[in-house]
Amino acid sequence: MPLDTWLEQLRRGTLDLAILLTVSEGPRYGLAIIQHLEAFTDLVVTEGTIYPILGRLTREGLLDAYWVEDEAPHPRKYYRLTRQGTKRLVHMKSEWQSFAEKIDRLMTAASAAERHGRETQ
Amino acid sequence: MKLSDTGTSRVNGYLFVLERSLSTFLPRDSVRDIVREIDSHVRDRIAAAEPVPDERAALEKILSELGPPHRVAQAYSIERTVDEAVVTGKIFAIMRAVWHVAMSTVTGFFAGFGLFVGYVMGAGFVILGALKPLFPDNIGVWVNDQTISNGLDIGTRIGAGPGVRAGEHLAGGYWVIPIFLAVGFFLLVVTHRGARKFLAWWRQRRPSFSVTVRPTL
Repeated sequence: MPLDTWLEQLRRGTLDLAILLTVSEGPRYGLAIIQHLEAFTDLVVTEGTIYPILGRLTREGLLDAYWVEDEAPHPRKYYRLTRQGTKRLVHMKSEWQSFAEKIDRLMTAASAAERHGRETQ
Repeated sequence: MKLSDTGTSRVNGYLFVLERSLSTFLPRDSVRDIVREIDSHVRDRIAAAEPVPDERAALEKILSELGPPHRVAQAYSIERTVDEAVVTGKIFAIMRAVWHVAMSTVTGFFAGFGLFVGYVMGAGFVILGALKPLFPDNIGVWVNDQTISNGLDIGTRIGAGPGVRAGEHLAGGYWVIPIFLAVGFFLLVVTHRGARKFLAWWRQRRPSFSVTVRPTL
């Protein structure tokens, strides 16, 4: 698998978590979510494709969407975490931390083996 | 940045194409909601942009960052139809997704055609097995007694027909029922699993529909 494809899959796999984390700080509209992701991660997405993902998360009951009419000269659609979304986020965070720790351990072991191999040569 | 009439027309044109693309697979209410949200996004971007002499270039940049309208529509279609099919595995969701993929790409068309044949054959065998008790002389396996003398003829026919023709005999008794049912359900299950795997594979190989990594500026 080419590196680009792997990276894209990795990003896609973590995007749901990143969006839920972004919205967990408080209700946000689409562009604000995109800007937050751009500011804190390198999960830079084509702007138009984040809205379908927000729509899916809403259909899955993890997000709640509502229109705010009077905040700006035009209406904005806000997203906030539902109770189900909050529960899912807790699980996802725990799974992610556990996963990251395992990969870290693997990388540490691999680095140690590599060092050992270099020293014995 | 405040848009001129030309700029407003360009945005309206973008939204019009998006609406038309979405209308091919989404209900009207959903389309209206999506277009309203994208419209809101564009207005926010325009409002945040600094006034520039070349309005057209600035607007094109905003719209290109959003993505071409048909790509945005495709991203919605992937999220809604293909994801739903892969995740739920529901028969109607799978069929709707296969239909959509078949209408979108050449590979999808041929795969969709193969899956259609599989579903039809599976359903056909199940129906034949179910109808055999009602039409014992019209459903079964016919063996052509003259096959050997006529090399071009097909020796055996399976299915439903008007009855036994001259020069052939009905070999299929009631024992064909379990065979037809088993073959039918087997084909349906295999085709359905194949459809789900195909959709998962298709979704995997088109990651840019879901997330596109923007080149580093």
